[in-house]
Amino acid sequence: MKYSFLFILLSLVGLQAFSQTVIIGNVVQEQGESLPGANVYLQGTYDGTSVNENGQFILKTKKTGPVDLRVEFMGYEPAVQKIDLKGDTIRLNIQLKEAFNQLTAVTITAGTFEAGDKKQAVTITPLDMVTTAGAKGDVYGALQSLPGTTTNGESGRLFVKGGDSEESQTYIDGSLVYVPYNSTAPNLSTRGRFNPFMFKGTVFSTGGYSAEYGQALSSVLLLNTNDMPAEDQLDLSVMSIGVEVAGTKLWKNGAVTGSVTYNNLAPYMNLTTQNYNWIHAPESAKGAVNVRQKTGKTGMFKLYSSFNKDAFTINQENLEPGGSPFDYHLANENYFMNASWNGHLSEKWAMNIAASFTNNQDDIHFDQTLIVKKIVGTHVKNVFNYLFTEKFSLKFGGELFAKTFSQNVRMPAEIHDNSFTNNTFAGFTEAQIYASSKFVTRIGARVEYSEYLKDTKLSPRLSVAYKVTNNSQFSLAYGWFFQNPVDDYLLYTNHLNPERADHYTFSYQSLVNSRTLRIELYYKDYKNLVKTNGGEFYLPSSYTNLGSGYAKGLDLFWRDNKTIKNGDYWISYSYLDTKRNYRDFPEEAVPTFASKHNLSVVYKHWISGLRSLAGVNFKYSSPRVYNNPNSSVFNSEQMLPYRSLDLSWSFLYRKNIIIYGAVTNVLGFKNEFGRRYASTTDEGGNYLSAAIEPSSNRFYVVACFITLTRKGEANQLDKIE
Amino acid sequence: MKKIILSLAVLFVSFASMAQKPEYLQTMGETLGQFSTCKSVSDFQALGNKFQMIANAEKSEWLPLYYNAHCYIIMSFMEPTDAAKKDSYLDVAEKTIAKMIELVPNESEVYALQSFYFIGRLVVNPMERGQEFSGLSAQAVAKALTSDPANPRAKMMKLQGDIGSAPYMGLDPKSFCPQAKALLADWDNFKPKSPIHPSWGKDQVEGIVKGCQ
Repeated sequence: MKYSFLFILLSLVGLQAFSQTVIIGNVVQEQGESLPGANVYLQGTYDGTSVNENGQFILKTKKTGPVDLRVEFMGYEPAVQKIDLKGDTIRLNIQLKEAFNQLTAVTITAGTFEAGDKKQAVTITPLDMVTTAGAKGDVYGALQSLPGTTTNGESGRLFVKGGDSEESQTYIDGSLVYVPYNSTAPNLSTRGRFNPFMFKGTVFSTGGYSAEYGQALSSVLLLNTNDMPAEDQLDLSVMSIGVEVAGTKLWKNGAVTGSVTYNNLAPYMNLTTQNYNWIHAPESAKGAVNVRQKTGKTGMFKLYSSFNKDAFTINQENLEPGGSPFDYHLANENYFMNASWNGHLSEKWAMNIAASFTNNQDDIHFDQTLIVKKIVGTHVKNVFNYLFTEKFSLKFGGELFAKTFSQNVRMPAEIHDNSFTNNTFAGFTEAQIYASSKFVTRIGARVEYSEYLKDTKLSPRLSVAYKVTNNSQFSLAYGWFFQNPVDDYLLYTNHLNPERADHYTFSYQSLVNSRTLRIELYYKDYKNLVKTNGGEFYLPSSYTNLGSGYAKGLDLFWRDNKTIKNGDYWISYSYLDTKRNYRDFPEEAVPTFASKHNLSVVYKHWISGLRSLAGVNFKYSSPRVYNNPNSSVFNSEQMLPYRSLDLSWSFLYRKNIIIYGAVTNVLGFKNEFGRRYASTTDEGGNYLSAAIEPSSNRFYVVACFITLTRKGEANQLDKIE
Repeated sequence: MKKIILSLAVLFVSFASMAQKPEYLQTMGETLGQFSTCKSVSDFQALGNKFQMIANAEKSEWLPLYYNAHCYIIMSFMEPTDAAKKDSYLDVAEKTIAKMIELVPNESEVYALQSFYFIGRLVVNPMERGQEFSGLSAQAVAKALTSDPANPRAKMMKLQGDIGSAPYMGLDPKSFCPQAKALLADWDNFKPKSPIHPSWGKDQVEGIVKGCQ
């Protein structure tokens, strides 16, 4: 008995010692190409090997019995093959499927420029937004070197694909910024209110955007602020136009930054030639507080609050017959606050909730007229995102835009007080479906209801993208976009409907060897634009929605940061063909803000010996049209083409000190934006006029940025680089 | 009879349990020995695969993950031009380092390796990433030194960071030569916790000291 037991025991041991199974196989991808380097091993053991250059492997093991053979390779789904080790030879053919990774999968790029840091479809980075010479440290200035935009030097605002500046809306951390630009005099360029260095990511959508956004006929600019700072720091910025001090204090999982800014252009304007007569050069003061707090594992709460006062007085030529020059004075007070929270409620549920509040007042005084304009606006939005699977997610939510606009006009003989309140409610839903890593569809719908206009609108949105090769993809977008008429009309009547634009966009993008090519074709069909009956602007009952128009064009973008060592350049060209019949247009005509050809060439070079980044930017826009009331043809006059060559230089003096200088329009091209005309004729029956010029032919800025931290290693290079 | 079976069973069981750790130590030791023979990206890929397999078999050990991440970081430096490939190797290292931090939240060697990983990210695009990743690398080194001020790999990463940023601080890189020489002289005084704990880095410091001559 005991001998047979021992015999069985020993033979079992012998079996283990002498039997060896040999597994031979090859590993390929779905298209049949072999995968050298793939990892092949028996689950839970030390028996493993790697696939050789021919795509083959040989794995020998002394283990016996059933076991899982795992084959893994980065970028592919692991394969598990159940085998039974019996001491013989096993032959296998293993095929690995590409793993689905949202970061490398196809993305919808039609009508979208995303400046982030991770995604492959990114063509520009957040640093690009601010380091472009000629951007003058303004978000909107930087966007104007991208395709799909037209530079209007007398405005400074964003004009996208044949659309007026009000057709573009700005969002920060998910909530609307009702007043994104500084207040300015008519025909005088403005800039954005926000320091571009506040933002880590930007999505500039020039059309066909998600159902999550609405009330913008042309585009939405989505800005995301920086997350947690790395350490306590004090930032000092001393510029030729003003100073800013910002202090940041960190605590566990949270931080607060307080900043104070004071700008005064008087010393600068006294040193340089100005085309305008500044009685009181622009002066502004601003205080802001910024809080961020991580909540739980995935949540982030952000709060931003700012108060800004600015004022200027300019002496203007009076074109009215018998008029004398008068002072145009503007004082603005802007209070802005926004808060947001985003995070994951569970593994599949993500939520974003955002709110903003704006209280903006302009006091304008000229020639015995006093106008007070006030906007009080609130925006609240809540979005949920449910991840059914990695490839299928559903987004839905709702928002409220509550705006009150009031205008009080005091003239020697008249008083006009008008105001209106419009609450617009919207709900939206959108599904994103990846049929594979190569094909994605986004389909959604949006409903908007305006309480003031008593009108409901439903808009469908659809976009698809297909990855042709590993490096290139096509994308299409279609949608209806509605927007309430501008405040100037709603102030006098609510018998209007929202305006509408239908977008058709096709885009091709390829990224090969660090070179990006992007081609975009679009057509926009404008309908229901507000029309006034000729000179009857003062008869609100005559306003209708009978206006219409179209915009079509081609945008090209080429970026190369490889060919020239330490050099990075991009070329952006836009062709725009647009006409519309809206507002006081007598017939369908090319609008003043559109130019047919727009070219922007941006080049940056890192000179390591001098620790400096040099930048050059050349811009050209073909002549725009403007209206001469003395002519019988509408919008028949042509401006000069817009040309500018801008330079910038950033010098990293110390790791925490940067010296920056920039000049716009170095070559001094004469730029003129048409003429402004009197509103009444002189004795000869002519309307007198004066040229609309930029406030100065060249603009210089010199600045020094200092960052003080305990360790002395951080700096503001990411602001300027 | 029962006694024999029982004692044989006990013997088998104890052999089995002793075999796990010795097999782990032996395999780790053998695989570590192959580091010096690796010359190309595919060599390091194969080596990384081995550590991946060991990590899969020993879910509570962080050292296999450590060397797996180390291989991928080295691969990203060795990849000549393809930035997307470099980043994809670093993506693997990033996930592995995150797993390690969960397993051993206070291990100095893990943070020293993480600092090396951040330098890998920086090198892919210094113009765009210089600011962000030199900061993150310095933070990781600080954590490593807080956890173990004597860790020579953490000291080496700090030294390399200081030398790299010297021109921007207005300092001469050569001013760090005494530190490099001291680190090299002191290197062998640090005793790793086991034969399979990290011990690399001396070659890099020798290289720095050579550049001082």
